[in-house]
Amino acid sequence: MSAVSAERKEPLLQVSGLSAGYGGMPVLHDVAIEIFPAEIVALVGSNGAGKTTLLRALSRVLAGNGKIVLDRKDLMPLTPDQAFQTGLVQVPEGRQLFDRMTVQDNLLMGAFRRNDKAAVARDLEKMYALFPRMAERRRQLAGSMSGGEQQMCAMARGLMAAPLLLMIDEMSLGLAPIIAEQLMDVLAEIRKEGVTVLLVEQDIHLALSGADRGYVMETGRIVHSGLAKDLIDDPEVQRAYLGL
Amino acid sequence: MKALQIPAVLIALIVLAAVPWFGSDVLVQFGINALLLAVLAQGWNIIGGYTGYASFGNSVFYGLGSYGVGIAMVQWELPFAVGLAFGVVLSVAFAILLGIPVLRLKGHYFAIATLALAQVMTAIVSNVKIAGQNIGLVLPPLNNDLLFYELALGLLVVATLTIYWLSRSRFGFGLIAIRENEEGAAVMGVNTTLYKVLAFALSGVFSALAGGIHAYWVTFIDPESAFDISLNVKMIIMAVFGGPGTVFGPIIGALSLSAISEFLSSEITSIAGLFFGVVVVAAVVLMPRGLADMLRRFRTTGWRYFAENIKATRL
Repeated sequence: MSAVSAERKEPLLQVSGLSAGYGGMPVLHDVAIEIFPAEIVALVGSNGAGKTTLLRALSRVLAGNGKIVLDRKDLMPLTPDQAFQTGLVQVPEGRQLFDRMTVQDNLLMGAFRRNDKAAVARDLEKMYALFPRMAERRRQLAGSMSGGEQQMCAMARGLMAAPLLLMIDEMSLGLAPIIAEQLMDVLAEIRKEGVTVLLVEQDIHLALSGADRGYVMETGRIVHSGLAKDLIDDPEVQRAYLGL
Repeated sequence: MKALQIPAVLIALIVLAAVPWFGSDVLVQFGINALLLAVLAQGWNIIGGYTGYASFGNSVFYGLGSYGVGIAMVQWELPFAVGLAFGVVLSVAFAILLGIPVLRLKGHYFAIATLALAQVMTAIVSNVKIAGQNIGLVLPPLNNDLLFYELALGLLVVATLTIYWLSRSRFGFGLIAIRENEEGAAVMGVNTTLYKVLAFALSGVFSALAGGIHAYWVTFIDPESAFDISLNVKMIIMAVFGGPGTVFGPIIGALSLSAISEFLSSEITSIAGLFFGVVVVAAVVLMPRGLADMLRRFRTTGWRYFAENIKATRL
């Protein structure tokens, strides 16, 4: 499953010349990324580099100019819920769970737009196999769980939407390093199921250790890209990221 | 418990439907008022209870429903049913036109914006010629309390069936998701704007029908009483007292509070308002999730239920 073999295929997500911003204030400048099927791609960068803005532009919450193609479908003219329907699913920063609903209802909420009841029931069992903790806590209110469990719940909820591309924003935020490592292992499991992951992280080492490829963002631009194992030792990346 | 629910509801319904045959005129008139208030509480339940948007604009729908009937019957001499339909059309149009901007606001801001809507409507209708300006309209009288009673009861049944459907449907699930975490709902592909506007409009349909029936019953409407904000406060109190976001809570709240209020004002006229206020304050402190939640939990927690709620409100 090396990235080299993946590159021969057609990209799942192709973004080029994307610029976007907030009310006349440009944030993203001419962003181009490509993600291939069943890849884990890390998008790293320091605070305020524009990572979340890029996710917002991809999920069509934020207007912008450029080209976004997912699975041969042009996303630019779509509304956020239409983009969601094409398979672009987000696990938002801060998780945004339904705190006063049970874990199971949270997961079912992930399948809100799906009509295939039998497949949804199957996927629910799959999630419980993937996250045994969630199975133990299926009747518990989501808001009463620990941060790591809530992040698992949010990821499982996202997966319940049967995404083509799962975009995870700040997965490790506020979590103990050991929990974050466990979640990275889960991503590898998810990839085996054929789900492609775009992981947005501030924790550059964590993200690049589990990803196939990486993009480094700085002030709204992609400044570096390459295989994750090359990027992790690249002094240029270290410099750009740490701002030395 | 579940198996007993359906027969219990049916028996309650038959008893309620039979009231005009064994009850006094006073009881029937009280019944019409109480049932219409229950419909209003159920209407508010859709937008306030299920969707989590505390609307103070439902009295606008009520007023539009009243004026729909008033204008159709007095100015155009059309039948009552056409007037009801006209009121519903006005309400739905209002819900869509004003819901789209107003439903972008959240929490207190939404409440205040909708509060202003009722005030604005009073001012507008007071200057519209076809609505009788600030004098109002006098409708042709129909002295048939039996009909109004059964009509109000029928409307309550339809409203409750709608909410029952809501509580089990995907649409209702989406509304609850919006209430619990609107951003989370949007991320999971719920078209939140569409859902909120639909909930607002559906809430408006029932409020408008209640307003229309009430207008024909009392045969007189004027801007002050049709767009009365205290009516909106009443429906919120009743829905919250009974249990917002439940199927039967608002009915129980509306009927029990109407009865308490009626009893107090006939027994101790001078300080009835004070007592009513005390009942409401006690309810908010002791059972903030309403009667429905209390009845469900009381069996397991007993009197601790109240103690826990007092602790939770940090008095």
